[in-house]
Amino acid sequence: MKTIQATQSITLNINGQTHSLDVEPRFLLSDVLRHKLGLTGTHVGCEHGVCGACTVLVDGKPERSCLVFAIQAEGSSVETIEGLSADGMTRLQRAFQEHHALQCGFCTPAFLLTATALLKQTKDPTEQDIREAISGNICRCTGYQFIVDAILAAAKGEEA
Amino acid sequence: MSDALHHLQKNALKPKYTGARVTRKEDARLLTGASRYLDDIEIPGMYEIAFVRSQRSAARICAIHLDAAQATPGVKRILTAKECPCFFGSAEDVANGVVQPALARDVVRYVGEPIVAIIAETRYAAEDAVERVQIDYEPLQPVLAMRESLLDQPRRVHEKTPNRMFHSEYQTSGFEDAFQAAPHHLVEVFQTHRQTGVPLETRGLAATIDPGSGRLTIYATHQSPHGLRGDMAVALGIEENELRVIVPEVGGAFGIKAHAYPEYLVVAYAALKYKLPVKWISDRTECLLTDVHARDDIHEVEVAFEGNGRILAIRDHLRADAGAYSAFPFCGAIGETVLASRVLTGPYTIPHLATTIDCTYSNKTPLGAYRGVWGPIASFVQEGIVDRVARALHLDPVEVRRVNMIPDELFPYTNAAGQAYDRGSYRASLEKALEMLNYDELRAQQKTLRDHGKYIGIGISAFVEPTAMAQSEAGSVPYESATIRIEPNGSVTAAFGLGPSGQGHETTMAQLIADELGVDLKDIVVLHGDTDSAPFGGGTGGSRSGPIGGGAALKAGRAMKEKLQTLASHLLEAAKEDVQLEDGKAFVAGVPTRNFSIRELAQVAYTDVLRLPEDFPVGLEVVARYQPKRPVTFSNGTHIAVVEVDAQTGMIEVLDYVVVNDCGRLINPLIVEGQIQGGVAQGLGSAYLEELRYDDQGQVTTTTLADYLLPVATEVPRMRIAHLETPSSGEGGFKGMGEGSLIASPAAFANAVSDALEPFAFMVSALPVTPDQILAAIDRSRDSMA
Repeated sequence: MKTIQATQSITLNINGQTHSLDVEPRFLLSDVLRHKLGLTGTHVGCEHGVCGACTVLVDGKPERSCLVFAIQAEGSSVETIEGLSADGMTRLQRAFQEHHALQCGFCTPAFLLTATALLKQTKDPTEQDIREAISGNICRCTGYQFIVDAILAAAKGEEA
Repeated sequence: MSDALHHLQKNALKPKYTGARVTRKEDARLLTGASRYLDDIEIPGMYEIAFVRSQRSAARICAIHLDAAQATPGVKRILTAKECPCFFGSAEDVANGVVQPALARDVVRYVGEPIVAIIAETRYAAEDAVERVQIDYEPLQPVLAMRESLLDQPRRVHEKTPNRMFHSEYQTSGFEDAFQAAPHHLVEVFQTHRQTGVPLETRGLAATIDPGSGRLTIYATHQSPHGLRGDMAVALGIEENELRVIVPEVGGAFGIKAHAYPEYLVVAYAALKYKLPVKWISDRTECLLTDVHARDDIHEVEVAFEGNGRILAIRDHLRADAGAYSAFPFCGAIGETVLASRVLTGPYTIPHLATTIDCTYSNKTPLGAYRGVWGPIASFVQEGIVDRVARALHLDPVEVRRVNMIPDELFPYTNAAGQAYDRGSYRASLEKALEMLNYDELRAQQKTLRDHGKYIGIGISAFVEPTAMAQSEAGSVPYESATIRIEPNGSVTAAFGLGPSGQGHETTMAQLIADELGVDLKDIVVLHGDTDSAPFGGGTGGSRSGPIGGGAALKAGRAMKEKLQTLASHLLEAAKEDVQLEDGKAFVAGVPTRNFSIRELAQVAYTDVLRLPEDFPVGLEVVARYQPKRPVTFSNGTHIAVVEVDAQTGMIEVLDYVVVNDCGRLINPLIVEGQIQGGVAQGLGSAYLEELRYDDQGQVTTTTLADYLLPVATEVPRMRIAHLETPSSGEGGFKGMGEGSLIASPAAFANAVSDALEPFAFMVSALPVTPDQILAAIDRSRDSMA
């Protein structure tokens, strides 16, 4: 992504790696991840902070990367779907495949990151816990049921 | 029975993959974020486009001021209608003397219509420039109300063309006598408000001249690669072999991506004419304004029926608002009404039907396809009628359905509109759903709870789903194509003209081919989405990919199997009919040690060709096309929703949801259930949440997903699903099923609310039904009782 206006130098910690970048102060974190760093697994669905498709983990917490300027992420540690998948698929990702928890896949990375944060925080979530945790992420394909099933299975440690 | 024959039949009866809950081949790339959607495409030296859009629903353009935009840093070029003189004209518009320019010329006719395209080094720069374009408008009176606009009031949308852009009438013979003679009658006006598909991936296009071939390459997020190629080639004035369409991963489509849009022409034209690699991806507000809208229909219905609930005749005046232009390449208003009129009698033996259809132009966004198209509307009307008859006669809604439902012995059944239904499980699906719900007990509970001020409702929706239609939105051709190539090392590459957007065709088509060839699923790669590699096909839409695409897969698989058998029988010196394919080998039936692996056969076919039988063509490639004999095959089923309506707040909670679905022979139950669950969730949105609202100036007021509400995980119920399988007469016995769940579910949700609010004499007649409407109805009812 080219810069047109005055830029600012920042250092971002993404998936455990340090990146030094020149960005316009107005650049969204989602755009910098996708178009400057090539981390296109983070998807942009609404840019209003409603659909949740751009969710990444900032210091372990789910955040909408379309509502954060890249310069605001300086000093934080950001994890994207590429980081989650660095050592192959996690148990949660395998559970998503086993339970058919994805169709078009566009919202999927964000669901995985949101659910990863949930499972770190809550070891044995109920179905209601899971539905509430993912209620900030919209999926237009699945009707959520198989996503809930996959997260439940991963929480119980059921291996695919 | 010979061993060979026995083996053959055993094989035929128990395919390894077809019908199994196979997990998807697509998933690994999607789960790791490795996949590439349209906005992930980066072309070297690429520019980005942003559009200046009309902020008026109806106005003359007096002047466009571009100086400030031209001077914006990063801007490369600016296009108006003068620099980009392209247009789309759907058959319906052209018949009315109307075409839609890619960029509005002198008049704007809906909010969001593109007027100016800014090509800049980044999207940020392009949007900077968009803000600096000033357009002088002379306002025109907006045409917004369907009944008035049909009468050319307050004016015509297109000066030289009457607003009524489509009209038709139909009546069964003897209708009037039957209608008049009936002992009971009722009237109702049903209305569905504007909704849209809202795939999570917005729509867009990238285009460049391929430096190697000099051809135009388009990257599009689209359901029909070949359809788009043909339409774009015509509009751009180039030959189809000068245009390559590549469809990357598609993040949901739901019908809205079966259309081509004016912006696509601008992007492609910029690449073609100005040799600029360019990309445009719509933002969510642009999507809500300009993705085709759907479901803007009014049905004025009169029903004639007998005292036992038997429905004798339905008269329906259907109206739909097409928007400012017909969507391209087909008009949603005509599709919704004409096709709804053909299935209005649903799964019932209603003998008489009279329909009048009127579609109008307006100053709103063009109406196009959203999953189910006519079906959700027709089901809402049809099942609404059944429940009204039941309430009028104080009968159980189930009894009225039983009295009217087509009995098994009447199939194939031709309905009152002349549609020929193939065999289904109409009665069985209803009874099965009632049994899953424990219906009688629930009715008893409902009564008790009502006495305690809790309002539970049970909403039944028995549906028909016309699928695999010879001509549907994406399927401009009545067939699908499949190529299968066995590579020199024995691996299998198949290619289709389908345009999947999450339906899992790489898996389901591979399942069918794997069973035909007796190879492992992992040894098959399924390609689609590139007009340079895929055989010509209609694409995905209208629930056609399983039954028609699957039929093509089976035909191609059989043709390849026959080639392998011919080759193996020659090499094994055995009769061809004795050669079996299993576990990646061709062997003599009953003597599995006498075999050649597929890999060895491929080596002979490509390399060791002197060993080929005489007349056997070198290589292993086939292409097959499948056109079903029937013009349509009907899936069917029953949905039942159980809801609780809070009489204090008007809020609706879904307590239970049961689905019995019959889409013929199942290819993959896991994928079928995923489709059903997603469709029911969309049905919940259609029934309770989603509405594109317009103000009295024609401004869309729902321009973010905070205003246009989509169902979330805490609202969508857990669904219980059962399958019945009544095979179609087509290849494989498959019927389509991509839309049935959204066809059936809005009616189930609506009827459940009507049932819950029976004590308040309320019935849902407009979708979506929202808490404020419910509270108003309860207030009205209490006032009238007081």
